Amino acid sequence: MNPTVKTTGTVKTAETAEPEGRPAFLAARRTSTAVELTMTVLTVAVAVLIAFLVILATGKDASGALSALLTGPLDRTPRIGRWLADATTLSLLGLSVAIPFRARQISLGAEGQVYAGALAGALVAIHVPLPPVAAVLVPLGAAALAGAALGAVPGVMKARLGANEIVATLMLNAVVVRVFDYLLTDHLRSPASAAIQSDPVRPGSALPLLSDFFGVPLDQANVGLFGMLAVAAAVWFLLARTPLGYRIRMTGSNPEFALYGGIDVPRTIEWSFVIGGALAGLAGAHLALGVYGGLQPDMAGGLAFEGIVVALLARNNPVGVVAAALLYSYLRVGGDVMEQQTDVGSEAVTIIQAVIVLLVTARALPELVKRHLARKEAGR
Amino acid sequence: MNSVLEVVLSTGFLAAILRVSTPYVLAALGGLLAERAGVPNIALEGSMLTAACTGALVAGYSGSVWAGAACGIAAGALLTLLLGVLHLHLGADAIIAGIGLNLLASGATAYTVYALLGDKGGTSRLHSGALPPVRLPLIEDTPGLGPVLSGQNLMTWVALAAAPAVAWLLYRARFGFHLRAVGEFPEAARSVGIHVHRVQFLALALSGALAGAAGVFLSMGAVSFFVTGMTAGRGYIALAAVFLGALRPWGVFLAALGFGAAEALSVQLGNLDIPSQLVSAIPYVFTLLALAFFARRRLVKESV
Repeated sequence: MNPTVKTTGTVKTAETAEPEGRPAFLAARRTSTAVELTMTVLTVAVAVLIAFLVILATGKDASGALSALLTGPLDRTPRIGRWLADATTLSLLGLSVAIPFRARQISLGAEGQVYAGALAGALVAIHVPLPPVAAVLVPLGAAALAGAALGAVPGVMKARLGANEIVATLMLNAVVVRVFDYLLTDHLRSPASAAIQSDPVRPGSALPLLSDFFGVPLDQANVGLFGMLAVAAAVWFLLARTPLGYRIRMTGSNPEFALYGGIDVPRTIEWSFVIGGALAGLAGAHLALGVYGGLQPDMAGGLAFEGIVVALLARNNPVGVVAAALLYSYLRVGGDVMEQQTDVGSEAVTIIQAVIVLLVTARALPELVKRHLARKEAGR
Repeated sequence: MNSVLEVVLSTGFLAAILRVSTPYVLAALGGLLAERAGVPNIALEGSMLTAACTGALVAGYSGSVWAGAACGIAAGALLTLLLGVLHLHLGADAIIAGIGLNLLASGATAYTVYALLGDKGGTSRLHSGALPPVRLPLIEDTPGLGPVLSGQNLMTWVALAAAPAVAWLLYRARFGFHLRAVGEFPEAARSVGIHVHRVQFLALALSGALAGAAGVFLSMGAVSFFVTGMTAGRGYIALAAVFLGALRPWGVFLAALGFGAAEALSVQLGNLDIPSQLVSAIPYVFTLLALAFFARRRLVKESV
């Protein structure tokens, strides 16, 4: 009769009060997961359809563009590699915004945190000689720390001073991007290269490429992919199974109730920003140590906002973030293929992305459709 | 150091401040109106971009800069109205919907330009023309004043006029009272018979039109063509100016001027031996500090 001991305190009390409710609860959760999954796939399908119509309306080869978009990424193995590498960065970014989102904090600071993480990770990886395993882990740790430190600033400002976190994160982004640009062009620029870029990271610090393991060309895809999966699992565990995760979820669903329930809401908000920052920092490290092998100007261009789309699409569910990132990166790589093979620009993908955001945010839309159908039913 | 002073004190630099500040002032005042009506408008960036693109394209194809400017401003207003529909009718979070609209604007403008002109970069092969500069016959010859004020673009004057206009609208006009009432306590406003949504939609339309004017200045004032992504985050900076200006028209105006001055300064210092990136970061650092300071003060006030 007594349910498992592993679950957290609150869930247990709910279960002991109504032990036969657990199968029903699990069934309901399964149904709602299925519904959400269907909704997500449907949303993306509608967005792709709208892009298709837009392309058609501009008099381009819409079916050719669509087939390039949808089959292109699987055509050649390097493209698959590019897809996996992109999905790795996007997943980390999606997770990084999903955590503050869960605490009902809108952090737009991922962009700055990515650059801070890339900078910290690359500095260690370029200049500090380290023994084999540490050579990879220490730069990653430095990147996570840099991201976390940067995340702490708007977190503390919001939690302790009540400063608007959207403005604070946007301002920090602007500062960090400029400092990054300054350091790269004036201090870190490699004398050996004509383009503005840093020295490459030490070979021991670069994230090992997957193509070395599998023997097929996989472009930039690297072991960061597995690291990302581990991070996603850790974030799931954090949110679903730890006291801090419980505090974050409570703060997000009802801050006043959380306050009366004895939760230190300001501290919880701060932690949500710090953890989010650390994950964005790791995304920066993945770019610097895995994708580019060094620092480049504009290396994260706009990716941070795409992380928001991924988190939205996944409804801030950590496992969903990975799926959404895979789906979304697939469209991004497909967009590049479409641009190469047809006369349709990859901007069509940005339109798809925007439609996804608008459809996902318009929460009343399904309700309106339902009401419309009900009215039709009644009228008949 | 002397050369820096020389640059900063020159009339050319003051004129540059007015020029560079124009889009910030217009967009920030637009953001202010939406914010005071209770709908945070993060889509300023998208409105500017849409307006800049529409303005250049319409002017290029119709041959009339006035038609271009009008269509650009209307396009900016339309995008913000879409934000209103999403947020007020469809229950979308205003911030997230705003981000979506910004994405939509960046994708749609780039796609449209590419589809129409086959050029990924912008509309530079289209001869769009620019809005005329305004010359002031008497002031023009006044030393000191003339080079600063005369010859500024029409939109710069619109920006200068917009600050008192918005101040008047918010604090003197009947609509402004309604707008502030709606933004502060929609339930109370509704109970005294104000059409909350109608006021919010009107505020959003004005907000988008102002952001649209800012966009039109970018593509039809400073230069005479549209470049993809030419707003370069100015809408977000304008949003910061809204908060830095403590949600008051003149405060917002001064904050926007401050951002413009810092940008103008960083451009000027690019010629000297001072890292321009760090100079251009100063206003953002300042905004962060001001944000913390003002928030602190508000907290103290609330706890009393």
